[in-house]
Amino acid sequence: MAKFLVKKILAMIPMLLAISAMVFFALELTPTDPINYLISPDMASSAGNIEALRESLGLNDPAIIRYFRWLFNLIRGDFGYSIISGTSIREIIMLRLPATLELALVSLVLSTIIGIGIGLLSAINQNGWIDYVGRVMGVVGISIPQFFFGIVVIQIFAIQFGWLPFGSRMAPGQTAFFDRLHFMVLPAFTMAIAMTAALLRYTRNSMLDVLNKDYIKLARSKGIPEWKVYLKHAFRTALRPVLVILIFRLPILIGGSIVIESVFSWPGIGSVILSSISAGDYPVIMVTTLLVAAAILISSIFVDIATALLDPRVRFE
Amino acid sequence: MKKQKTTTSSMAKRTWQKFLKNKLAMLGLIVFVVFVLASLGAPILTSFDPNKINLANISRSPSWTHILGTDRLGRDVFSRILYGGRISIFIGVVSALSGTIIGVVFGSVAGYFGGKIDTLLVRISEIFLTFPQMILILVMVSFLGPGISNLIIIFSVTGWMTTFRMVRNEFLSLKEETYVEVSRAFGISDTSIMFKQILPNTMSPIVVAMTINIANFILQEAGLSFIGLGVPSTLPTWGNIINAAKSVEVIRNFWWLWLSPGLVISVFVLAVNFLGDGLRDVLDPKQ
Repeated sequence: MAKFLVKKILAMIPMLLAISAMVFFALELTPTDPINYLISPDMASSAGNIEALRESLGLNDPAIIRYFRWLFNLIRGDFGYSIISGTSIREIIMLRLPATLELALVSLVLSTIIGIGIGLLSAINQNGWIDYVGRVMGVVGISIPQFFFGIVVIQIFAIQFGWLPFGSRMAPGQTAFFDRLHFMVLPAFTMAIAMTAALLRYTRNSMLDVLNKDYIKLARSKGIPEWKVYLKHAFRTALRPVLVILIFRLPILIGGSIVIESVFSWPGIGSVILSSISAGDYPVIMVTTLLVAAAILISSIFVDIATALLDPRVRFE
Repeated sequence: MKKQKTTTSSMAKRTWQKFLKNKLAMLGLIVFVVFVLASLGAPILTSFDPNKINLANISRSPSWTHILGTDRLGRDVFSRILYGGRISIFIGVVSALSGTIIGVVFGSVAGYFGGKIDTLLVRISEIFLTFPQMILILVMVSFLGPGISNLIIIFSVTGWMTTFRMVRNEFLSLKEETYVEVSRAFGISDTSIMFKQILPNTMSPIVVAMTINIANFILQEAGLSFIGLGVPSTLPTWGNIINAAKSVEVIRNFWWLWLSPGLVISVFVLAVNFLGDGLRDVLDPKQ
């Protein structure tokens, strides 16, 4: 197990280096002066001689040296500064990330329960009415633009009935989780739609595959009750590929949150990226992107561990 | 030679008959064709200029003259949807096509030659897959700027990986087949073996993936234009029309500004997805 982990982590390092180098050199291509995002604006304005400061920061060094220095600072948690507001990028991320994660997590839980649940029922009652509904949901869910779905639910639940708020994360001053839970209902459901549909399709196909296997027929012929066949024998095997898809879908959740956050004025990372793009705030865009990519790479290790734990054929080698 | 031709044509005939029987796929194909024809025939179907601003006639609800109403600049929404379809569908189809070409070329090279070039291409595809597609697209938009041709470039560059992996895996197994060895023994060039001998055997999954990509790219374009980073707002596209509905005031008072373009996008993408699913059922020999 330890050996397996070390090997995975070692394999990840060149990827991280390649991605961070891409981000660094892309930043170099932008018309942004590094002096504006590497140090805080106070420090820059208090220094009398910008050229001397540039020299002392090593900004005139060759690109490769500057890259490694930048990377080292990133690892230490020094992400640089926004060129528009002058705030440290680390602060921006710390402030906004919880909102995005909260939304992603809630819609992940929602879509996992609904998607896997309906997918399994669909497969068990193949060609029955549940299956029919499930299959229609599966295609419709990936065909409706998320923002359109968002607008429709705002119109119905926030405007017509007035049951739920149509945007933002909380009412002023009410920060407790349960006080702001109803703010999350519409965005979380909207975000869950596409993911639910995809999970539903995968679960259904995977379960159907397993139900056609010989060992299921054997189990049935032995007179094991039908529900036991499903739960104890088919379910576990069928869920393995679904789990992998589930974790691989995380990036889509984060990507999808950009549009959702815009529809519901949700104050998360997505809206930071969006406003940074409009403002041309390249350091913020690139560093957030890099962090997202790093997070995804790290979560892919968890996929490997989970698959290895669930599948006896995969050994920790 | 003649005999071979009759077998392929009967294969195609059988596939076609299977396709005709697949009701959802047929429905998808019909809707697709109708939408494409409607947007191409826009000048026949409507007499309104999609870009003509008429400030005397703003935000009118649907009526006999303006069957889907007018927007906040007095432009006819029906006409904008028809003309917008041209750009939205064009972007979706061309991006899917060029993404597929990139995926096919890289995939065949990687799978056929293997070794260093294979490792390199697989690594590149992994790097691309590490970023959420939407974020990758946004980063590229921030560098290249919005616009139709830039969107097509960005979509193709970010959407080739699935096809690449599929083609590569097919090539890895197919290159061991006897007919490839025979072709090689005859001295047929590598390019010819790759694209004339092996590639035709991998066409079905490629076509299915491309169909799904069309649906996907139309959704992406709509999403990008909705947040204002897609096609410049002076051109009508489905996403740009619905872009008006970014304020609660519009959602509340002017339902025709977002409901009809939203439904048009949904129905069209649904049709393309039905078509893709149907093609998969028909073309997959395992079914």
